[in-house]
Amino acid sequence: MEQLLAMLKESYPLIDFENQKQLMTDGILDSIAVVAIIAAIEDMFDISVTMEYIQPDYFESVETMWEMIEELQ
Amino acid sequence: MSYQSIEFIIFVLLVLLFYYTVGRKHQKLVLAVANLVFYAVAGLKYLPFMLITMVATFAAGKKMGAIYADADEQLKLCADNAEKKVVRAKAKKDAKRVLQLSMFITLIFLIVCKYSLFAVSNVNAVLAHFGAAQIPMFRMVLPLGISFYSFMALSYVLDIYWKRYKAEQNFINYAVYLAYFPHVVQGPIDRFNEFSKQLEQPVALDYKTITYGAQLALWGFFQKLVIADRLGILVDTVLADWASYTGGMLFFIIVVFSVQIYADFSGCIDIVTGVSEMLGIKLRKNFNHPYFSRTMAEFWRRWHISLQEWFKDYVYYPVSASAFMKKLKKSSKEKFGLRTSELAASCFPIFVVWCVTGIWHGAAWKFVLWGMFHAALLIGSQIFAPLFKKVPEVLKLNTETYGFRFFQIMRTFILCCIGRIFFRSDDFAMSVGIISKVIHNTNLPSITQTIEILGAVDVLVVVFAIILLLAVDIIQEKTSVRDLLAKENYITRWIVFFAILFIIILTGIYGPGYNASSFIYEQF
Repeated sequence: MEQLLAMLKESYPLIDFENQKQLMTDGILDSIAVVAIIAAIEDMFDISVTMEYIQPDYFESVETMWEMIEELQ
Repeated sequence: MSYQSIEFIIFVLLVLLFYYTVGRKHQKLVLAVANLVFYAVAGLKYLPFMLITMVATFAAGKKMGAIYADADEQLKLCADNAEKKVVRAKAKKDAKRVLQLSMFITLIFLIVCKYSLFAVSNVNAVLAHFGAAQIPMFRMVLPLGISFYSFMALSYVLDIYWKRYKAEQNFINYAVYLAYFPHVVQGPIDRFNEFSKQLEQPVALDYKTITYGAQLALWGFFQKLVIADRLGILVDTVLADWASYTGGMLFFIIVVFSVQIYADFSGCIDIVTGVSEMLGIKLRKNFNHPYFSRTMAEFWRRWHISLQEWFKDYVYYPVSASAFMKKLKKSSKEKFGLRTSELAASCFPIFVVWCVTGIWHGAAWKFVLWGMFHAALLIGSQIFAPLFKKVPEVLKLNTETYGFRFFQIMRTFILCCIGRIFFRSDDFAMSVGIISKVIHNTNLPSITQTIEILGAVDVLVVVFAIILLLAVDIIQEKTSVRDLLAKENYITRWIVFFAILFIIILTGIYGPGYNASSFIYEQF
């Protein structure tokens, strides 16, 4: 998860990924950011994020994104 | 039965009477019958189209649910991951066939009813160019709300396919969702999982539910009858003879049209949301004061929200996650670098979404152009994002001051107005003609001409009404006006309620036979 957090902090330095738990609900991440994060996750972890996982619940926090990665690995 | 008609008000009162007197167990049935009556009154000829879509997508959902349930049982018996992978792949393949069939049935009605005339006329234009024989044209029936209920049906089957929730087993629940009379004509485009949860909770008659709903509906009537229909007279008169007006006047009219379409659509949504609230069912939010947006991207997160979210979830993300996009990203990264690859990943899906958004609004090239205009703005904002970020830094501009925010809001509003030229014009030639006049003939708009068309009293009424709308929208940005009103004593509340009611009765625009003009989005 550290690797994921480092990537997110580098790409979006203004977002507090450690404490934000409602990134989608609070409108902090928009659809363009979600697509960019998916592309980065796919490259970094060599996985393919399918449509089942492209829904707000999986992008609310670093923890939920990590949960998705673990399920896809 | 239009939402702003006397018949609709009587219909709603009857539905409310039955809804709250039949007992909680039967409320769903009252809604099912009300939906059927509402749709049948609109035209019995429309009914088969909706019923076929309804049955096909419900059956598809059920079938896909059964396929996934069978696969889950088989997975329990699998010895290793390789075996599980085969079971999952087979289930996905079988479910995909069912999904494709249901999508085909839904889309074929939408395409044939809405776009066949447009497609044939374009083919005929090409055939005429080569001197070939023309294809005969037939005007198809356009079922009421087909663009809206088809999208709701598609979202249901796609969500089941992507396992976002379980398939519905009760046909009445699904039928009430798809044909629900407050959202079937102009949206909001609701989602089944959010809607069905509310159907499971019977509603007790409650003072707050009824008064809050009635207040919202009343505010919707105010926006439609006092503002939108009054401005519509001015807009229609000027644009019917646009060539004889100055560029300044035409731009003023496009600004007026932007206010008209907002009051018209937001008014309609407030009426149906208010009616639905009285029935204890909350609809999706469709507007969030879009003209206060600082960027075009923000504007599209605040205008027709349920449609934008539909396109995001069912077009933007699937295109972004498609094998084609993955190939495009990979090849552009190898050839042009990471930045180009990232831009391709975000811009191509935007382009696709706006092609579809444009054509969704109507079978005409002007809507495609309007879509392309917005695609260009949104893609441009992505490409030049680093530059836009750097300019205020270099100029040492504080972007959070009221002055700068106001500049951004006005810039977004003007860009939106330019797009509306394509949207409102009869054809491409008219759009170009208006733009050319606005650029070359920049005289100030004529107040005298405006008063001649509308009359001095109506100009005053509409100016006062727009100021009231603006004031309410400004308050709504921070808090709920209905909550504020609820804190006042009952005398103040009733004075406000009756004041708005009398303003609507006395100053609303009623056509011949007291039939106000139809809603702009009803035609979509």
